[in-house]
Amino acid sequence: MSADLSTQKPDKHVFRMADALLRASGGTTAYLQMPLEPGDASDEGQLGLDAPNFQPLGLSPVTMRRMKRVMMEGQPQEYELLVSGSAVAAAVGEMQVASAELLFQMAAGVVVAGELFLIESVSISESMGAVYMYRLLLRESASGWQMQS
Amino acid sequence: MQNAKDTFYITLRNRLASVSPDRTMTLRGVVRPGILVEEAEAPAAQLPLDVFVLRWTKLGTDGQMPSTLVAMTCEIHYATSGTRDNMGLDRGRALEAMDDELLRMLSPASVAKMNYTQNPATQMGTSIFWSQPVFTAEATTRERVGRVATVEVFTFQEQGEL
Repeated sequence: MSADLSTQKPDKHVFRMADALLRASGGTTAYLQMPLEPGDASDEGQLGLDAPNFQPLGLSPVTMRRMKRVMMEGQPQEYELLVSGSAVAAAVGEMQVASAELLFQMAAGVVVAGELFLIESVSISESMGAVYMYRLLLRESASGWQMQS
Repeated sequence: MQNAKDTFYITLRNRLASVSPDRTMTLRGVVRPGILVEEAEAPAAQLPLDVFVLRWTKLGTDGQMPSTLVAMTCEIHYATSGTRDNMGLDRGRALEAMDDELLRMLSPASVAKMNYTQNPATQMGTSIFWSQPVFTAEATTRERVGRVATVEVFTFQEQGEL
C-alpha cells in the first residue's frame, strides 16, 4: 500500500467555516466542569464528603440541539452539542492536557444555559488530519443542578 | 452503614497501593490507586478500564442479636482491553492480573471500622468483615473483557451510628 503523496495545502479555512456555521446557527458558550488543580487528594474527597469544586472552562462557539428520539418514562432527554474544533484546541492548550479526548474525560459534565449535562460520547469531524468540530452526545443530569451565577 | 462502606473502600484502596503500586488512575486532577466508589464520583457513560469500581447494591439487616447486623452487597466491577504495546492481545492476561490483585486486596477479610467523617479518622468499637468473592463469568464486549466480583460486607450497628 502506498502513501497519498498528492499536494495538500492545509490552512485554517475549515476551522473558520465551522466556527461561522456554529455562530450562524445560534452559537453560544458551553462550560466544561473541570477539576481544580491540584485536586482533592484526601480520603474525604474520595468518599463524597468534600465538595469537589469544579472550575468552568468556556468553549465557544457551540450549538446545541435536542436529539430526535422517542421519549420514554424515566429516560432523560439526549442532546447533541456541536463544539468548535478551534475552541477545543485552545482549551487543550489552556489546561495543558495531552488530547481533547482526555479533556472531555476529565470533565464532570458540561453546562449550557445554566443547566448541567453529562457527556455520553464524543465523535469528531476532521479535514486533512485536523479536527474542526466535535460532536458531544449529552444527557440531562438527573441532579437538576444549576450553574451558580 | 456508611462507616462500613467507607472503611471497606479505604482498606481496599490502601491494599491495592501495596499489592499493585502501578495500578493508578488520574481522577479529578489527582493520581490515586485505581479503585473508586461509583456513587462518590461523577456519573460516567461507561465504567473506566483497568480500574476497580465499587458499586453498592443490596442491603439486609438481622435484628435478632444484641446489635443489629447489617449485610451489604458490594459489586466490584473491572474490565480491561489489554495494553497498547500488545495491541490488546494481552487482555486475557490483564484481566487475570486484576483477578489476582482483587483476591489479594480482599485478604484478610476483616478490618477495624473507622469513622472518616472526623478528621483525623477515628477507630470505632467494632470491625467489619466480608465474605469470599463470587466471580461472574468473563464478559466480552468487542475488545473489552471484564468481570464482576460480589462480596457481602457485614457490620454491627454501633450506638448512634448512621
